[in-house]
Amino acid sequence: MKRKMLSVLLCAAMMGTTLAGATSVLAADDKDSDSKWEYKEATLTFLIDPDTASAGYQAVFDLCEKETGIHIETELRASGGDGDNQVKTRLASGEMTDLCGYNSGAKLNELDPESNFIDISGEEWASRLDDTFASAVSAGSDSAVYGVPLTATNLGCILYNKDLYEQYDLEVPDTWEDFLKNCDTLKEAGETAVIGSLGDSWTIQVPYLGDHYNVLAAEPDFSEKFEAGEAKYATTEAGLKSFQKLADLQPYFNEDYTATTYADACDKLVNGEGAHWFILSQALSSIYELYGDDVNKIGVMGVPGDDADNHGLTVWEPTAIYGNANSDKKDDILRFMEFYTSDEALDAFTEAQKPDGPYCIKGYELPDDAYDGVKEAQEKYFDTGKTNVAMEFQTSVKGTNCEYICSEVATGQSTAEEAAKAYDEDCKKQATQLGLDWK
Amino acid sequence: MNKKKIYSLWFLLPAVLIFVIFFIIPMVTSLFFSLTVWDLKSFTFCGLDNYKTFFSENSLSISVKNTLIYAVLTSGLKVIIAFFIALFLTSKIKTKDFLRSLVFFPNLVSAVAIGIIFKALMHPSKGLFNTVLAAIGISGPNWLGDTHLALFSVIAVDVWKGVSISTVIFIAGITSIDSSYYEAASIDGATRWQTIRNIVMPLVRSSTNTIITLSLIGGLRCFDLIWAMTKGGPGFATDVLASVVYKQYAAGFFGLSTAGNVIMFAVIAIIAFPLQKFLNSREVYN
Repeated sequence: MKRKMLSVLLCAAMMGTTLAGATSVLAADDKDSDSKWEYKEATLTFLIDPDTASAGYQAVFDLCEKETGIHIETELRASGGDGDNQVKTRLASGEMTDLCGYNSGAKLNELDPESNFIDISGEEWASRLDDTFASAVSAGSDSAVYGVPLTATNLGCILYNKDLYEQYDLEVPDTWEDFLKNCDTLKEAGETAVIGSLGDSWTIQVPYLGDHYNVLAAEPDFSEKFEAGEAKYATTEAGLKSFQKLADLQPYFNEDYTATTYADACDKLVNGEGAHWFILSQALSSIYELYGDDVNKIGVMGVPGDDADNHGLTVWEPTAIYGNANSDKKDDILRFMEFYTSDEALDAFTEAQKPDGPYCIKGYELPDDAYDGVKEAQEKYFDTGKTNVAMEFQTSVKGTNCEYICSEVATGQSTAEEAAKAYDEDCKKQATQLGLDWK
Repeated sequence: MNKKKIYSLWFLLPAVLIFVIFFIIPMVTSLFFSLTVWDLKSFTFCGLDNYKTFFSENSLSISVKNTLIYAVLTSGLKVIIAFFIALFLTSKIKTKDFLRSLVFFPNLVSAVAIGIIFKALMHPSKGLFNTVLAAIGISGPNWLGDTHLALFSVIAVDVWKGVSISTVIFIAGITSIDSSYYEAASIDGATRWQTIRNIVMPLVRSSTNTIITLSLIGGLRCFDLIWAMTKGGPGFATDVLASVVYKQYAAGFFGLSTAGNVIMFAVIAIIAFPLQKFLNSREVYN
């Protein structure tokens, strides 16, 4: 009797799956033939870190599956140094996913893109990429382009809590001196003036890296000279100042700054437990996911320099999606990338997740409902031309110990001068590895 | 009949092959690559530059110092604490079996899990340790954030986790001491301390030596606990050889990181072999 029951059940299950199969075939046939996208079912794998807000790209992936039949399987990896390690190991052992999410700029050079990633410069749609972004995902002397932007640009900025600014009647500062004065006022009132988040040590690089606009304001050709091995941070006044700013911040940090993580800091900032946070503007999306419209309590300012009339902003090109050159699904990867850079995809992205800065696709404007902070930045910095890309998008050399060296300054273990020197040494190692001829 | 000829030398082949392929070849190649700038595909010979960098750069050389502090302190503390726990657990107490398993529990949890848990417990403002201290009016230190304290916090956790193995070895050593020694001592009117000093301590020396060697080598190559708790931070304050090697590898400096591995191998060999010899020479046989 039991056996009979079982066989009936099994039969039913089989019928069920066949029917389900049939309906999916029917659904595929039903596909609207007007769509401009070629429909062919395929599955691509995608490796990305968990700190990048997922709502936006996931929405594009979903639409992509509907329009082009390409299903994306996302696999999460660690972020920071651990993540770099995983990516490099998987590339070296030939186990990279079809699509690899990784930094654009200097760090791309560490992955040997010429042999690992697909060159998309020949594709027609690749011309839609903004020139600055295209140069950040290119490598070597030729004009190869390897990636498409995963998100909008990221701003290396100081996020500040507008409520606290109002409560203590503070003005948005345009010089570093005024910024420190604001911090003093807040500290005297018993508030945490600056949130430190050394629990995720990559975040502590932002005060130094985000100061690059001011370095260039003082030394316009610093990046080229640095790449050539002629200029050093320790011997350039403006460069040294970037590290000094980090040292200046130490007295203002929250008590538990050595253990505070990126996620903790998002909470602290939006809840007014801290007034400033040096971070990439992607934090706005992280806050939006948790707190919704409260994100508009957060303002955005560039790291101020010495000249009040030249208060600019350092911009990060976004993480890119690279196609694995050793994958056997090259056509599907290119189809996916074309879709990902289309207006349709950007619309879907914007609907699910607001951009953290302007997009890197030519002619695609910021939506009206963007975060207030981003709109503020667009007006104050982008429209007046006071922006510059970060150091790592201008040179191929980025010291790999940057976050640890910055941590040392932020915890008072070393001075700005020592850190600048240590960072120069660290960059020299990288230059040697890349085969640059540095003295 | 010559006994040697019963078994052909060919029987050695599988073992030798495995040993050569998995141990000798990697060792020789790593010695070679530690002298190069290497990107896994091509390499440039650079002599001893990697080793020079390793010792001249503060962020790297600090790891040698930290490793030594870590290894010596953890193995020393484990020996002392484990000895007294073992003495207690071999005395005539009722809940002996229960207590023995209790001591062993921390060792059943993986080091990474313990690291993550203690990282949360040692959080400067939200952690259990400081909350409890605050309740009795003490403002607790920043366990893992204070650069002078961080390494010692990790050492304390390592001892807590690792003391159980040492205890088990000591218990085995103590219970194997023949009871006639104790009887003789009690007839001579020895005090409890005299018994420990003159009977137990010399007769468990072989256990002591095993523990010192094992935990010293364990301390020299420790990575998991440190990585889970501090990632070598803040800055480079708790970096040890293994974490530096890992970081250099993550950075793509494959030659430099291999050089770090060779240094680690050398440090362990230089310390472990003479130590073993010295300890064995002092052993008392039962």
